[in-house]
Amino acid sequence: MTGMETRTPTPLAAASLEEAETSVVPEGRSGFLPIETNWFDRLFISVVLWVALCLFWFRFIEPLGLSIWIANAIGVALAVILIRKG
Amino acid sequence: MQSNKLGWLFLAPTILVLFLFGVLPFIYVLWVSFHQWNPFAANPNMIFNWADNYRAVVFDAQFLASLGATVAFVFFAVVTEVIIGYFLAQAFMGDFPGKAFFRTIHTLPLIVAPIIVGSVWKLMTTPSIGIIPHLLDNWFGLNLNIGTSALAAFTVTVVMDVWHWTPLVTLTLIAALVSLPADPFEQAQIDGAGPRQIFWHITLPMIAPALVATVFIRLMDALRTVDEVLMLTGGGPGSATRYVGVHIFKEVFPRTNYGYGSAISVIVLYLTIVVCWMLYTGLLAPRKGKEG
Repeated sequence: MTGMETRTPTPLAAASLEEAETSVVPEGRSGFLPIETNWFDRLFISVVLWVALCLFWFRFIEPLGLSIWIANAIGVALAVILIRKG
Repeated sequence: MQSNKLGWLFLAPTILVLFLFGVLPFIYVLWVSFHQWNPFAANPNMIFNWADNYRAVVFDAQFLASLGATVAFVFFAVVTEVIIGYFLAQAFMGDFPGKAFFRTIHTLPLIVAPIIVGSVWKLMTTPSIGIIPHLLDNWFGLNLNIGTSALAAFTVTVVMDVWHWTPLVTLTLIAALVSLPADPFEQAQIDGAGPRQIFWHITLPMIAPALVATVFIRLMDALRTVDEVLMLTGGGPGSATRYVGVHIFKEVFPRTNYGYGSAISVIVLYLTIVVCWMLYTGLLAPRKGKEG
């Protein structure tokens, strides 16, 4: 047994080494939003805006006679735009 | 491939626990929020009513008032805790006689259950028997009555929260301050920077991640405060301290209105996530053209 002897790495060490060699840092994208985002960020922002729009619609627009489905359609359109170009 | 399998194996227990105790209850609450459900009513079954609960929530004056009170409570409590917590953390960074003893004493409120904190503060603030109204009357001639004054009740709930949770902020900020490298501070001193410049341009940016994480934790906790306030004021006088947590409790348990209570819970969760996300985006998220 010498200090120079090559040893088989433990599964955890092997996994760490492999991960270090192959890991890719997910890069954000720059669309029209003022911050760098990945697709999940944009999906999250879309859902937040969709819910806010629906609550606003319930409170102020629906009493005027416009259905909530219009808000949902706007929410979906907004989500598609944000996810693709945000 | 092996690393992926091993990674998932290590993550599996955490994911399982999170799924069972975090995701599943959330999905259930979301499901219930789209139903009219009062198990003690004439019809105890769950009746799907689309978004009627959410429709009702945005017109519920009591809920909107409780939301306003909660925002004020959270703002005053969290800002005060962060400021006092930072100064205490800075004090603990230096040496003074009895430091270890004082640090232990100052951390004790953290281990007290919120319901006990509420009870103790109720005893301390009840007019005629409480020590705080007695001392305020003797020293300053002030009449503190949390049973009749909305402002007094609100202030006492904020002070109680600050007393209970400032040690948490102090501990996390001590950890952040201890881990800071000495070099930037020495260089700033050599360059002639004053304490204020060092704080704004070195200390604050370097502890920002820990500070924001602490604010997140306190923000989320303060937004769902129930037991302390319920014990201390019961949401009164009137609805002065009926914060959203108390409002949900009173809607769900005494009135057994589970569907409506679930809808309010989902909205409060939504607001909490939005506030935290805005805070994160405003303070820490990488801007375009800047390195993260």
